[in-house]
Amino acid sequence: MTDLLALLIEPLRYPFMVRGLLASVMVGTLCSVVGTYVVLRGMAFFGDALAHAILPGVAVAYLLDANFFWGALGMGLLTAVGIGYMSRQGQVKEDTAIGVIFAASFALGVALLSTVQSYSVDLAHILFGNVLGVSDADLWLTAGLGTVLLLAIVLFYKELLVISFDPILAATLRLPLNALHYLLLVLIALTIVVSLQTVGVALMVAMLVTPAATAYLLTRRLWHMMIVGAVVGTVSSVAGLYLSFYVNVASGSAVVLVCTGFFVLAMLFAPRRGLVWGWLRTE
Amino acid sequence: MATVLRVDNLTVSYNGKHALEKVSFDVQRGERVAIVGPNGSGKSTLFKALVGLLHPKTGRVQTDGAEIGYVTQRSAVDWTFPVTVHDVVMMGRIGKMGWLRWQRPLDRRIVRRCLAEVGMAGYASQQIGELSGGQQQRVFIARALAQEATILLMDEPFSGVDAPSQEAIMDILDRLHDQDVTLLVSTHDLNLAAERFDRLALLNRQLVAYGPPGEAITPQTLVVAYGGQAVWRGEDYAMVVGDIDCCGEEGHHHG
Repeated sequence: MTDLLALLIEPLRYPFMVRGLLASVMVGTLCSVVGTYVVLRGMAFFGDALAHAILPGVAVAYLLDANFFWGALGMGLLTAVGIGYMSRQGQVKEDTAIGVIFAASFALGVALLSTVQSYSVDLAHILFGNVLGVSDADLWLTAGLGTVLLLAIVLFYKELLVISFDPILAATLRLPLNALHYLLLVLIALTIVVSLQTVGVALMVAMLVTPAATAYLLTRRLWHMMIVGAVVGTVSSVAGLYLSFYVNVASGSAVVLVCTGFFVLAMLFAPRRGLVWGWLRTE
Repeated sequence: MATVLRVDNLTVSYNGKHALEKVSFDVQRGERVAIVGPNGSGKSTLFKALVGLLHPKTGRVQTDGAEIGYVTQRSAVDWTFPVTVHDVVMMGRIGKMGWLRWQRPLDRRIVRRCLAEVGMAGYASQQIGELSGGQQQRVFIARALAQEATILLMDEPFSGVDAPSQEAIMDILDRLHDQDVTLLVSTHDLNLAAERFDRLALLNRQLVAYGPPGEAITPQTLVVAYGGQAVWRGEDYAMVVGDIDCCGEEGHHHG
């Protein structure tokens, strides 16, 4: 028993691990809650594209020796609103529009970064996260912005629920459909920007989708889904980080693998919906 | 009688084509109007234009700010969405709750009352996908009631619903009619429309006919609206309005 306790406490002796854990918990919670809408509205591709499309912004910040955060923020908002606007035009299918913007932005970002000689290490951090490099300032920024985003989700809960479930009802209730839709896009974009350092571009979509998808199998109401998702996201983040500490694998990937493990368990054993119960019933 | 809804020369475009062309009609308070027409005739488009989801190319819709309830077509709903019966009906209260506000005891009471009115009182905590077709329909009616809607738009409420549930829904509509709620219902069932509604709007992108059943439904109007096949049961005969190629003559009777 004391061995287990020692195992749990050991990483906490390192400040970078403590900061990393705190950042992971906050990001795990935020991504899962916002990810609820991503899953229910089928926006996984959009989320993935947005994370990748941020790269040019980060690259420019890198070249100017500025904080990545502002480059990511500007690019993220621009892309989110841009995709939102393009899908309303109807000339190109939304799926296509997202695909084109995704690839072009990412390529532009890589091109910009490759102008620097030793870009591969930093590119790896951008792609796969650098949770152990989180500073105190980063932590405060994550906490502050994360709180604002969660607050927005709570304050606009019922309106975002209606536009997601029944846009026609939203119209009869005279809700500002367009404004609320853009609000959601901006919330997703900001979530990605806040989570970038912890999770990285490549695995961002996993943090948005997998915890919420797991929660979907285990709940029947939207706010339950958010809470269960937050729990799954947080536990996965902590477990993943501990795993990366002891087994020496990249932290972001460990978090995602743990989270996926939970998803598989839910898929098999969820009450009523689990595959295993289905198999047993057909016996 | 007061006019609660006036549609004036309404033309709506959808994907570059005219889904509705120069539609004009008015509805009086407490009237029961059936919107009939073949698939693609613009029935759903009309409803979307009435609630402001689609903007007309020309013409306008006048409702004088009346609260409009929309009972969604069952095929358009995501039944896997994580909401319970209570959650769906509570959505109707959002207009009364206001921004940044939560459910009040008043809202909860109204939701309970509306569920009771449609006979779904015991189902509040069920996820909507667990209900039968008729039950789902009634939940959405309860939602419109929770909105305190004075005009109710119902998009194909009888499709995919078994006969007893259809009767139950008609009973609810009759009760609403007694309370002076104005009803606009789109349906494929011409005979039901003729039996239980005050006026019929025969739609095929344009308004082919509008009036009491006897006036609106004639062999001529049916052929214009349906082009192909339609079945109409008159007082002492049954008529199949066939395609012109059917037997070489327009709108003749078969037995």
